[in-house]
Amino acid sequence: MSELIHTIREKSQELLAAGRVDGILCLVRDRFDVVQPRLIFRAEEIGSIETSPKWNLAKLALQTIRQSGPSFRLAVVCRGCDERALLELAKRNQFDATRITVLGYTCSREQAESCLCVRPYPEKPLAGEKIEGVDPFADPRVSALLTGDEGKRMARWAGLLSRCIKCYGCRNACPICVCTPCKLEDDLWVERAVVPTELIPYHLIRAFHLSDTCVACGACQDACPVGIPLLTLQLLMRRRLQERYAYEAGLEADRKSPLLMDFDHASPAGFELPAWTVSSEAPHER
Amino acid sequence: MNAPERNDKKPSPRVLVFACRWCALVGADAAGRKKTELPASFRVIPVECASMVEPDSVLRALASGADGVAVMGCHLGGCRFNDANHVAVKRMEALGDLLDTVGIGRRRLLLSFGTAHEGHEFAEILGNFLQELGPLPELTPWRKTLLNLPAFR
Amino acid sequence: MSAESVRERTPRDLPRGMSEKTEDMVPIEDRSGSTACCGEVRFVRTTCPYCGTGCGVILKVEGGRLTRTLPDREHPVSRGTLCVKGWSAHEFVASPDRLTQPLLRDGDSFRPIPWDEAIALAAGKLRETADRHGPDAVGGLSSAKCTNEENYLFQRLIRAAFRTNNVDHCARLCHAPTTVAMVQTLGSGAMTNSIADLAGADFILVIGSNAAESHPVLMGEIYKAIDRGARLVVVDPRRTAVAENAAEHLRIRPGSDIPLLNGMMRHLVDAKLYDEAFIRERTEAFPEFLEYLKGWTVEGAARETGIPTEKIREIAEGYARAPQAAVVYCMGITQHACGTANVIAVCDLAMLCGQVGKEFSGIYPLRGQNNVQGACDMGALPNVFPGYQAVSDPTLRAKFAQAWGVAELTDRPGLTVTEMISQAGKGIRALYIMAENPMLSDPDVTHVMHSLKKLDFLIVQDIFLTETARLAHLVLPGACFAEKTGTFTNTERRFQLLRRAVAPPGEALDDFAILCRLSRALDVPVPYDTPAAAMEEIAALCPAYGGIRHSRLEKAGLQWPCPHLDHPGTRFLHQGRFSRGLGHFVRPDHTPPQEMPDREYPFYLSTGRMFAHYHTGTMTRRSPFLNREKEGAYAEIHPEDAARLTVGPGDMIRISTRRGSIVTAAVLTTRVAPGTVFVPFHFAEARANVLTNPVLDPVSKIPEFKVCAARVEKEAVDGKP
Repeated sequence: MSELIHTIREKSQELLAAGRVDGILCLVRDRFDVVQPRLIFRAEEIGSIETSPKWNLAKLALQTIRQSGPSFRLAVVCRGCDERALLELAKRNQFDATRITVLGYTCSREQAESCLCVRPYPEKPLAGEKIEGVDPFADPRVSALLTGDEGKRMARWAGLLSRCIKCYGCRNACPICVCTPCKLEDDLWVERAVVPTELIPYHLIRAFHLSDTCVACGACQDACPVGIPLLTLQLLMRRRLQERYAYEAGLEADRKSPLLMDFDHASPAGFELPAWTVSSEAPHER
Repeated sequence: MNAPERNDKKPSPRVLVFACRWCALVGADAAGRKKTELPASFRVIPVECASMVEPDSVLRALASGADGVAVMGCHLGGCRFNDANHVAVKRMEALGDLLDTVGIGRRRLLLSFGTAHEGHEFAEILGNFLQELGPLPELTPWRKTLLNLPAFR
Repeated sequence: MSAESVRERTPRDLPRGMSEKTEDMVPIEDRSGSTACCGEVRFVRTTCPYCGTGCGVILKVEGGRLTRTLPDREHPVSRGTLCVKGWSAHEFVASPDRLTQPLLRDGDSFRPIPWDEAIALAAGKLRETADRHGPDAVGGLSSAKCTNEENYLFQRLIRAAFRTNNVDHCARLCHAPTTVAMVQTLGSGAMTNSIADLAGADFILVIGSNAAESHPVLMGEIYKAIDRGARLVVVDPRRTAVAENAAEHLRIRPGSDIPLLNGMMRHLVDAKLYDEAFIRERTEAFPEFLEYLKGWTVEGAARETGIPTEKIREIAEGYARAPQAAVVYCMGITQHACGTANVIAVCDLAMLCGQVGKEFSGIYPLRGQNNVQGACDMGALPNVFPGYQAVSDPTLRAKFAQAWGVAELTDRPGLTVTEMISQAGKGIRALYIMAENPMLSDPDVTHVMHSLKKLDFLIVQDIFLTETARLAHLVLPGACFAEKTGTFTNTERRFQLLRRAVAPPGEALDDFAILCRLSRALDVPVPYDTPAAAMEEIAALCPAYGGIRHSRLEKAGLQWPCPHLDHPGTRFLHQGRFSRGLGHFVRPDHTPPQEMPDREYPFYLSTGRMFAHYHTGTMTRRSPFLNREKEGAYAEIHPEDAARLTVGPGDMIRISTRRGSIVTAAVLTTRVAPGTVFVPFHFAEARANVLTNPVLDPVSKIPEFKVCAARVEKEAVDGKP
């Protein structure tokens, strides 16, 4: 058994025995050697806690907390991306952050490369060694979609999004997509009952709603049956947030998103008027 | 949007303009009253403030047939609603990033704050925008046959 | 149950993510001492009940109820993805419409009766019918939705209790041509390769399948192939989502598939692009087939199909030259009066080019129902026992008779679904229908209703009071996928386990238990009480499933053939030799559609599926999320036709055929060609099958659902046009 799993199981045992949590949400390997999520209440089950494959649990954690009584405390055995998702949810008052304890572990190099993850670790991992992240923009598939001839990319993206079969999997799997009602289900915005789904209203509305809150966990892409590179949709917006506002979703618990949550520090950083407009006012930096 | 077409082979790009009624709409009206030479293929939706325009509306407009969308508000520092237009700028900038991502391009989203409140300015800005849009590829791969949407009947 | 009452009684749309009522929470006693309050939460791995892809789903059970369906990242087929129906698989389970007690007809309505009485009545009436009118007066329609073990018990009951072979199921309406044609040509009527093989193909020909809507997760494998550079060519009169995403969409005239395939083969023969070595070593009857092909030309194909000659040559060459080429097909070619011949032509093409019997290539009939493959495998067919063992063989009859504890079984082939229904009241006096809804799914449903009403006794076993159940004398409440154990077999021959997540409602019983009781009441001994034990009996009797045990299926299931306990299952068939030895080239005898548009009925009418609903809608129209996605009946019509009829989006139109007429809402789209209307068959309030032509393929007896002639008119509303 790896040291990582050992540490996780030990800590879980400790928390449960001391009564500091009431349940542990994690993956387990059952007696048939199959991994699946489990909500553990009893110490006997801790020996089957597993940490792979990659399986995002943040949304399940949120649902569990919401559907339990007010004093239920949950521990979640998860990766960095889940931790960041939970932080974003807490930031948006989706649950009481004091009720969840993250038992975070780091990701392997293979996993980081598979997810193109810039931060394959939780902030303070319980187990595992932090490794350097991967720059998604260096990946040829990503750069093919984000750089180069605009017309070609427009056709390529339209072609990929045209595969959409309206499973709502991306929305269902995304830990941040918790709105009720969900705009994507409103036929004023997205035509119903047709596939391919209306490309712009479904996918671009969803992508924009997540623009400042996506933690790049990739659950959307993992849930897509037809291989649409959904994570790549968010990457440029995330980078620009970093460049303009030094902001990355999922990291700072007390900092609201400068984009959609912040009306106090309203300076639009980096905004330039188009060169060919005639402007009659002074520079706009405040 | 059934705007009359020009005599060019390619129809004129269709533009939806969200104009804040405190500044930009004044310019649009003025241009209309003076019968300034205006391209025909645009429509104006007056809004109370540019910050009222949801990015989703811009996307819906592009999906429904607009080749470009203009969001026009008052000059930064001059918003009647406490710098709400700053918020609008931030959001629309981010929307521009998304449009760049998918190759639709932020050039299809015109942001004008405080530059369109005179008739001739409005006309010039819009005219330039339409010229910019002209050579861009059609968004047809992105549009379904929108014959059945309840809102558009 | 009218559509309105279904809508009224469907639980209000539960907003996603909102907590359930806290009164349902059970405080945990043995916890840390704080009233932590989280009820039972379990995650149960099982198999999706909708289509033949057979995705893995994880049901979340809270307080004894299903609250959510999640994808299974470990599943070999679905790998963490689901379609919208899969994500909603739990929604119908707790519907207030669920049948909870056996019901006896009482005039125009029903009254509940206890199980003992129901079983005794069912057994008594069936026995009485057989005694009075002969064994073939009794018939059974088994269920492509129920498990393998249930299907096995069902056909066992019918055959052993009554000495008749009148057992069939809805495969008759979809892939009967596949089972017949592929057995004739290759020796085995199942998908030759695995779903995952599609991802490795270089050329994929999709003919008559809208996999993007009917088998969405499977479609993902095709997209994987495209991501690797494969070429997708789609042949379909409609511009489906698959066609939209293909390199080439050939808009074929309805019912001209054999001219196309023969034209392709003719070109490949002329251009010497066929696989001579493969034909020489692996097949027979090729010289006769070559003679036959002389009567077919590319130009003739172009004339009949409306597809240009260059395209026909191009796709033929693409298929033949590709290192691995796959042909995927579904209802678009089977549901024709020449459905069997259509599939034969597909198999001939694959053999001609050597594109079968190896990985990543092959022939992919996409089985529709979650367990239609299994229902066929388990012998719910009038001419074969389980494992496709012929009833005509006396050794096999003796083997099964002995296993089932009866003196003998009959060799008289039984009637098919379509025949049993049209014979109702005549040759067939009593029917036992398990989880099928012919009142919506069979052609010419007006005639179905009249026929079923003529039966002396009709037993319907189902989970809802379907349109068919309403006509029954006795209704038995069964259980759904989440409430039973057993196995389904998906379209790639994979046996997969179901695990029970919740109890059936009220007094409903799982169908396995009902069949055990009924068998015993009919003096057919059943020496076991669990599906796992039944599977052992099945494995003992069917060499192809010899190695199948529930205990071996826990991880990823097993694909048959799996002849013994150490066998790992079979990824693809016909490697080295075909199931019948040599592949047999068979002439596909073409029949044009039996009813073509004419002056009185100028439109082509086609029927089929759409992604948000499933088949006759019994489950999906009781699922709030799916019902919101598409709430009511509709028909697709081309905008040019709509304009001519002054029909706008959403306007009501009347579609009429020689069988009847329906009124439904118009959806304007260029997906259909001008002059064609497409009606999905999911909606009880506007039944596509009121319109369809009951003419059958003479070989496999499948109805011609895909083509008939129709008239379309704008429907006056309140007397105003």
